[in-house]
Amino acid sequence: MIRVKVGQLLRLPSVLSEMGYRVIVPTESNGVTKFADFATDSGIDLHYVRAINAPRDFLLPDGEKLFSYRSTATVTSYGLKIRFPTVEGPCPVTINAEYTAPSGRIAFFAIHPCHANSIRYLDSVMLSDPADPYYRARRDGMLTVVMECEEGDDHCFCVPAESWELEEGYCDILVRRSGDGFLLQPRSEAGKKAASRLEAQEELGSIKERPPKMRTSFRIHASEEDIDRGEAKGIDSCTLCAACTVTCPTCYCSDIEDRFHLVDPSNVERVRKRMSCQRRCYSMIAGGNIFLKTKEDRYRWRLKHKFPFSSKAFGISGCVGCGNCIAFCPAGIDMRRTVGRGTNK
Amino acid sequence: MKAEENPYVPKSATVVAVKNESLETKTLRIRLYNWKAEFQPGQFVQLLLPGVGEAPFCIASSPSDQKHMDLTIIRRGLVTIASHYMRPGDVVGIRGPFGRPFPVSRIVGKDLLIVGTGIGIAALRSLILFLVEHREDYGELNLLYGARFPEDLVYRDEMKYWAEKMNLKVTLSKASPEWGGLRGRVTDHLDGVVKGKGQVAILCGSPLVMRSISGELLERGLKADQIFVSLERHMKCGIGKCARCLIPGGWHVCKDGPVFSLDEISLEAIGD
Ligand SMILES: Cc1cc2nc3c(=O)[nH]c(=O)nc-3n(C[C@H](O)[C@H](O)[C@H](O)COP(=O)(O)OP(=O)(O)OC[C@H]3O[C@@H](n4cnc5c(N)ncnc54)[C@H](O)[C@@H]3O)c2cc1C
Ligand code: SF4
Ligand code: SF4
Ligand code: FES
Repeated sequence: MIRVKVGQLLRLPSVLSEMGYRVIVPTESNGVTKFADFATDSGIDLHYVRAINAPRDFLLPDGEKLFSYRSTATVTSYGLKIRFPTVEGPCPVTINAEYTAPSGRIAFFAIHPCHANSIRYLDSVMLSDPADPYYRARRDGMLTVVMECEEGDDHCFCVPAESWELEEGYCDILVRRSGDGFLLQPRSEAGKKAASRLEAQEELGSIKERPPKMRTSFRIHASEEDIDRGEAKGIDSCTLCAACTVTCPTCYCSDIEDRFHLVDPSNVERVRKRMSCQRRCYSMIAGGNIFLKTKEDRYRWRLKHKFPFSSKAFGISGCVGCGNCIAFCPAGIDMRRTVGRGTNK
Repeated sequence: MKAEENPYVPKSATVVAVKNESLETKTLRIRLYNWKAEFQPGQFVQLLLPGVGEAPFCIASSPSDQKHMDLTIIRRGLVTIASHYMRPGDVVGIRGPFGRPFPVSRIVGKDLLIVGTGIGIAALRSLILFLVEHREDYGELNLLYGARFPEDLVYRDEMKYWAEKMNLKVTLSKASPEWGGLRGRVTDHLDGVVKGKGQVAILCGSPLVMRSISGELLERGLKADQIFVSLERHMKCGIGKCARCLIPGGWHVCKDGPVFSLDEISLEAIGD
C-alpha cells in the first residue's frame, strides 16, 4: 500500500498513457460528470458520485462498425438502386468483409466499484460462448483504477445490490481518500507497475474495499413474479425517453444495421447501435406483433432483464445499484419501489 | 481475428433458383459457396442482402443436402421485399445455422402432430422433408396446416407427396366458395388428429394460435415436455449478444430456441 498526494494521483492517467494505455477519466463540464478520453488538459473530477456514462460506452461503443463490404448499389437519376448482378453486370462471387479488430489496451481511471461490477456483468454477457470478438479485443489487457465511494447519493443502492465488493480481475489499483491524500492498494502486477511510477510513501498494512454509507436500506426481491406483482405506480408518466437505458452502465441491447453513404452507396458498413427496450420497435416482429406493448410492459421488462433473466442466462445480476436510471428519469420513476422491500425511507 | 472466427461476418452464397409460392411468398434456393452447412430441422440463418440488410429465416430444406438451403420468405419489409427481387446468380451472405433444432432423435418412434399456420409452415418444411426421408423411424404422422386465403398456401405442388407419407389436413379460415377443402381455423380441426398422451406435438405459427393450441393440447392430455413450439422474436445477432430475443424465463430464442418445449416456458412466454 502507498500514500500519495492528490497531485500524484492526478499524474496516474499520464503514467498509464505513457505505459501505452488508452486512458478514460471522469471529467466535469456544466455540472455533469462524464467519462472521456484523457487529455493533458482534462479537468479530472475526483469528487463525483454519479456519471452520465459508463465504461460500457468505451467497451461497447454505440455505432461501432463491425465490418464493411462492397455491394452493387449505384445512384442513378432515379435515385438509389441496388443493382442485382445477373441483370446488369458481373456477379461478385463473394461478400468480402473488411474489418480490423480493435487494438490497444484500455485503462479506466477513478471508476467506482459499481462501474467495475458493470464490466464484470458485461463480461459475463459478451464473453459467454461464442464470445463477441469486438468486445473481447477492447477488453483484453484492461486496467482499472477503482476509487472508493464514501457515501452514496439519494439514488445509490450498491449495498442492497451487493455490488460494492470487487472480484479479482476487476480492480488493479484500489484508491481510498485518507486525510489530505490518498491510499493506493495495487492488486495486480499491472497495477503495481503503474503505482511504482508515482512519488509515494510506503505504508504498512493494506486496504480492502468497504461498503459506502447508504441513505436507504432495503432488500431486493426481484424474481419474475415479484416484478410482475411489484408496484408500478406513476408509470403512466413515463415519457419513453429511454434515459434509463441510455445511462445504465449494464444496458447492452443493440441493433445491427447496414449503412451507406450516398456518394458511394456500394460501400456498405454494418454497424452495431444501442437499442432500448423502451422503444416500440424493440420487440416488434414482422406482421406488426409487438410483445412489449405498454409503458408498464417495458418498465417491467427492463427490470426482468436486469434481475431474473440475467441471473438465469448469465448467473449474475444485471443491476449494480448505481441509481442512474432513477437519477436521470424525468418522470421520477424509481425501480426501488418495485423491487425493494423493507425500505427504511 | 480471422473472418472464420468472427460470428458477425457472413459467408457467401448464391441464389440458384427462385420459386413463386404464393402472392406474397417466394422460396429462394441458395447454394453455399465453398462451404457446407450442417444443420438440423428447426434451425435458422441470418440472410444478408448486400446493401439492404439482414433478417432471420428458418431453413426450409432437407438437412440431407448440405450444399443448399431453401428459404421461404414472405414480404414484410425492407429485406423481405428486396429478397423477392433476387434472381439466380445473385450473391447473398449467410450467418448460421443458429439455434436449437427440433428434437428429431429424441422423438423417434413417436406419433407426431405437426401444426403450422401461415408462414410458420416454412419452419416446418425442413422437419417434414426429414420425416418423409426417415418415415419408418416414426409412428403416425399428422400434419395440420392452416392459412387464411387459398392464395396464401405455399408448397402447394409438394403437398401431394407429403400426403402420401402422412395424414395431411389443410384448412382455410377465409376460403372462397370454390375451396373444396376444410374451412375454419386449425383449432377447429384438432379432433381426430389429437391422440392424447404419448403423442408429440410440434407447433409453429402466430403466437396467438400456438398459445391456444398449446392450451388445448395440454387439456387433451399431452404432456408439457412433449409439446414443442418454434418461437419468433426480433433478432439481430443470433448469438445471444443483442438481447432482443429474450423471453420470460430468461431464455434467448436465438440460442436456447427457437424450439422450446412447454415444460421449459410458460404459455405467456409464447406471446400474444
Ligand atoms: C427465428 C426466425 C425465423 C424466421 N423464419 C422466417 C421464415 O422462414 N420465413 C419468413 O418469411 N419469415 C421468417 N421470419 C420473419 C422474418 O425474419 C421477418 O419477416 C424479417 O426479419 C423482416 O425483415 P424486413 O427487413 O423485411 O422487415 P423490416 O422492414 O425491418 O420490418 C418489418 C417488420 O419486421 C420486423 N422485423 C425486422 N427485423 C426483424 C428481425 N430481425 N426479426 C424479427 N422481426 C423483424 C420489424 O419489427 C417490422 O415489424 C423469421 C423470424 C425469426 C425470428
Ligand atoms: S427514464 Fe423514466 S421516463 Fe424515460 S423511459 Fe425510462 S422510465 Fe420512462
Ligand atoms: S438498472 Fe438502474 S440502478 Fe441498476 S445498474 Fe442500471 S441504471 Fe444502475
Ligand atoms: S438475436 Fe441477439 S440475443 Fe438473440
